[in-house]
Amino acid sequence: MLGGFYAAMMLGFSVIWGVMGVINLAHGELIMVGGYLTWVLNTTYGVDPFVSLLIVMPVMFVVGYLLQLVLINRVVNRPILSSLLVTFGLSIAIANIAKLIFSADPRLTQTTLGGAWSVGNLTLPVTKTVILGVALLIMTSLYLFLQKTRTGKSIRAAAQNKQAARIVGIDINRIYAITFGICIAITGAAGSMISPTQAVFPFMGAPLTLRAFTITALAGLGSIPGALMGGVVLGVVESMIGVYVPGIGTNLAIIASFVLLVVILITRPQGLFGGLRPHEEPAQI
Amino acid sequence: MRKLSRKLAILPALMLAVAACGGAATQTTQAATTTTAASAAATAAPTATTEAPPQFAGTIRIGAAVSDTGKYAREGQDTRHGYDVWLDWVNNEYGGIKVGNDRYKVEIVYYDDEGDPDTAANLVERLITEDEVDFLLGPYSSGLTMSTSAIAEKYGMVMVEGNGASESIFSRGFKNIFAVLTPAGNYTESALKALADKGAKSVVIAYEDTAFPTSVAEGAKKWAEQYGLEVMAYESYPKDVADVSNVITTFKNLNPDVFVGGGHFNDALLFVRGAKEQGWFPKAMVITVGPSNPTFVTEVGADANFIIGPTQWERTMAYSDEWFGTAEDYAQRYENMWGDAPSYQAAESSATALALQLAIQAAGSLDMDAVRQALYDLDVVTFYGPINFDDTGKNAGKPMGSIQIQDGVINVVAPSASAIADLIYPAAGWDQR
Amino acid sequence: MSPTARSARRILLVVLLVLLAVMPLIPDLLPDQGWVNNSRLFSFTQMFMLITLASNWNLTGGFAGYVDFGHAVFFGIGAYGTGILMNSGWTFWPAMVLGAVFAMMFALLIGYPTLRLKGPYFAIAMLGTFVAVREVVRVWKPLTGGGVGLTLPPYLNRPLFYWVTLALAILVVSLMWWIRRSEFGSTLIAIREDEVGAEMRGVNTTVNKIFAFAIAAFSTGIVGGLWAYQNTFIDPDVVFLPSRTIELVMMSMLGGLGTVAGPVLGAATIYWMRDVVWASFADYHLLVEGVLLILIVIYTPQGIMGKLGDRRATSLQEVWKRGKTADEPGEVVAEEVVP
Repeated sequence: MLGGFYAAMMLGFSVIWGVMGVINLAHGELIMVGGYLTWVLNTTYGVDPFVSLLIVMPVMFVVGYLLQLVLINRVVNRPILSSLLVTFGLSIAIANIAKLIFSADPRLTQTTLGGAWSVGNLTLPVTKTVILGVALLIMTSLYLFLQKTRTGKSIRAAAQNKQAARIVGIDINRIYAITFGICIAITGAAGSMISPTQAVFPFMGAPLTLRAFTITALAGLGSIPGALMGGVVLGVVESMIGVYVPGIGTNLAIIASFVLLVVILITRPQGLFGGLRPHEEPAQI
Repeated sequence: MRKLSRKLAILPALMLAVAACGGAATQTTQAATTTTAASAAATAAPTATTEAPPQFAGTIRIGAAVSDTGKYAREGQDTRHGYDVWLDWVNNEYGGIKVGNDRYKVEIVYYDDEGDPDTAANLVERLITEDEVDFLLGPYSSGLTMSTSAIAEKYGMVMVEGNGASESIFSRGFKNIFAVLTPAGNYTESALKALADKGAKSVVIAYEDTAFPTSVAEGAKKWAEQYGLEVMAYESYPKDVADVSNVITTFKNLNPDVFVGGGHFNDALLFVRGAKEQGWFPKAMVITVGPSNPTFVTEVGADANFIIGPTQWERTMAYSDEWFGTAEDYAQRYENMWGDAPSYQAAESSATALALQLAIQAAGSLDMDAVRQALYDLDVVTFYGPINFDDTGKNAGKPMGSIQIQDGVINVVAPSASAIADLIYPAAGWDQR
Repeated sequence: MSPTARSARRILLVVLLVLLAVMPLIPDLLPDQGWVNNSRLFSFTQMFMLITLASNWNLTGGFAGYVDFGHAVFFGIGAYGTGILMNSGWTFWPAMVLGAVFAMMFALLIGYPTLRLKGPYFAIAMLGTFVAVREVVRVWKPLTGGGVGLTLPPYLNRPLFYWVTLALAILVVSLMWWIRRSEFGSTLIAIREDEVGAEMRGVNTTVNKIFAFAIAAFSTGIVGGLWAYQNTFIDPDVVFLPSRTIELVMMSMLGGLGTVAGPVLGAATIYWMRDVVWASFADYHLLVEGVLLILIVIYTPQGIMGKLGDRRATSLQEVWKRGKTADEPGEVVAEEVVP
């Protein structure tokens, strides 16, 4: 059940890493920003969290575009650790700005969707089903965008071989900014979608970023089907252990997911499903 | 090599410089706030009992390292506000602490511990060795109380605290730590007793696996068994959990009467939302952190109704004393000074400082041993509840209250002595709230 | 620099170290000075610990180029090893050493598979290891006390901790200085610059990497044990702080990766920044810290030592060249210019 959400949550993270080689440690904080935007819309104008996606996504796109131009662009050509530290600095800064503006109190949005429907002996909460649906929709659109449109193809070209892409006349900076914008828009959307089920607060970001790491490692960089599968695998593993081990199940699930991460990194560093930067078969996609 | 040694040579110099600057750290005395607060209080609540400008025989300096920033910033602020309400009252209204026939002015030296145990320990040491304070008041949170109480013990200096409830603080054999609040193990006692009286038969317990929630859960298990409730499950979950649906699925299948759970405010929201989503409504939900906070009702809305939670103190409780008056009087005073309603963290902080004051007055001197003994001997009822420390420094006299949210209002339902409403059991389903 | 100037500086260094060493005696010798007291000794102790930790991190991260995002796991194992042994009746010193041995053994165990990973994959694998170990500690209640943690007998002899951490910091920095000039150190640098090339010249890179990793883990484990004893209680949250690792990275970077003095300077500067910046900005201090981090990375990639003109100082650029070329076949490294 959580798989779909996990996948949507980390897609932006994964694609940024895959295309630009930037590990965005501010990922969880950007989810939080999306969550707060939704909360403001929800409490002041009564906009339903799912409707607010229409506003949150464009706003977050602009935020991402500007972040890339102003900040990330300065380190994108430097080694990955530079961008790691810059985005870490960014994450601290965003979390504390959020604390100054919204205080540390957790916020929750209200959605008109509620209740649950039952299929056999399975209970499906409506909210989570809608989240899954929207997540799938976003993922499919992104997949089609990358596969079919001219910009999408340029993005993939830039991921594969920056030099060559530049030679054939692709404006790398623009492509990067667009990529970052789209990914942040998706990340913000994830924030909107969790806001009805989980409280939004300034320091919620770090665990989400770690989770995105895990799924990306499972899935392979920038691979959309991989992201979906990785999310589902993680979701299933966690809930199986969580439900069937009494007493400490939920804790064991966390351990399992990180052990899984380390084992997969060691045995298949390109991820379970390859991705935008396959190590062994560079010519594909 | 040459260059390296040159660079190495400047290091110690730099380190000394660093430490020298470091000396100028975070101290803020309360002077500024006190003046404004005092004038506010003077206009808002003029009092006839104040003597003409009191002649103070001296100043008692009390040290407190409390979070102003960091993860406990919010609760730390409540703690400071609570101390300051007492400070303002004791200096400007009560006329200073009575020691024998003399009156002493009080000054609180504050530091910001940033929610970090290293920093907190260092600052308390700084309070003792550099600022040479006479007594200590506690920080916010069990973890910080753990690390600072060890420092206080080392110097044999009394520390009275009101915001560290974890049982392990009191099991270390320390002689200088006193806590006015009810310890974590007793948090759910009155609620479980009331529920058992209403006919509940079984309970499931979920807790975050950090110090304080674990103590609460262990206590809940103990009390449930004592009141004849069957404990059907006892589940831990990790800190910063994003999803508790696994726990809820497990519990739903067991179909118990009562759910006891929680650790953080955020978890409280997760459990309520999760249970509703999965269509699970236990006959009573006892959530250990959250329900007594008015924000809980605003964030959760109608779903908050019927939820039960423990509370250290509510303004509606029927306690009163000769210093602050009734609990409601205290709440009024707090509102006049700070503009918002007091949380129980604020009230217990004021009570903490009051307990120290009463012990000093009972001892009739500033001698540490006499004050410590007076704290052990202390047996009073305050606006916050009874205070009576046992050998470990826990407040043995005070029962934990329980509240239930009824029509969006936080009502005290147990224990019967301080209850203002009847506990509603079983709760209505989610769709009828 | 003339030989006289050099020896003068050496004398200065020795004098300052001696001054640091006798500092805890000042309160007894000069009762009225009022500046040296237990609280100040405690601050210095914390700084010495940070210097030691940053130097350890720099051994694998700066010298060998294996940037470790989970180094605090060794701190945690050292602390818990010490705590568990002391709770079962051991005295502190042997418990601390054995705790550090546990940390080293864990480094050998985890280092063998993870050190084969390149660049960011190693960093993330270590981060995963860190979180997994923290969760195991939470769950393994009979041994670790779970989320409640363990209490240690309070023994708060500040001068003692001061001397021990000072000695440890001097020892570790000297060790780094010695390693830097030894063949072992050259091998580590060779691994950083060109691991495949080093292998082809017959260097057993695996053994060298793991050896460096284990040394760093042992020494970090010692600091963990000292910290646990000094703090008098441990629980998973205070011991396994993710920010602890990140700070070490910041300190080493700020000082200059791959230098001996860099982590020392970096640790001292950041500790000082903490005290002053936090004091002056109360509500904003973390915000300020985040912004400072961004500025440091963008404007001084070679750290303080690089600014001071030490050729040995290296930028991240250099450290990650190897990982990058392996990662991106199409990347031309020379094209990138570091300001």
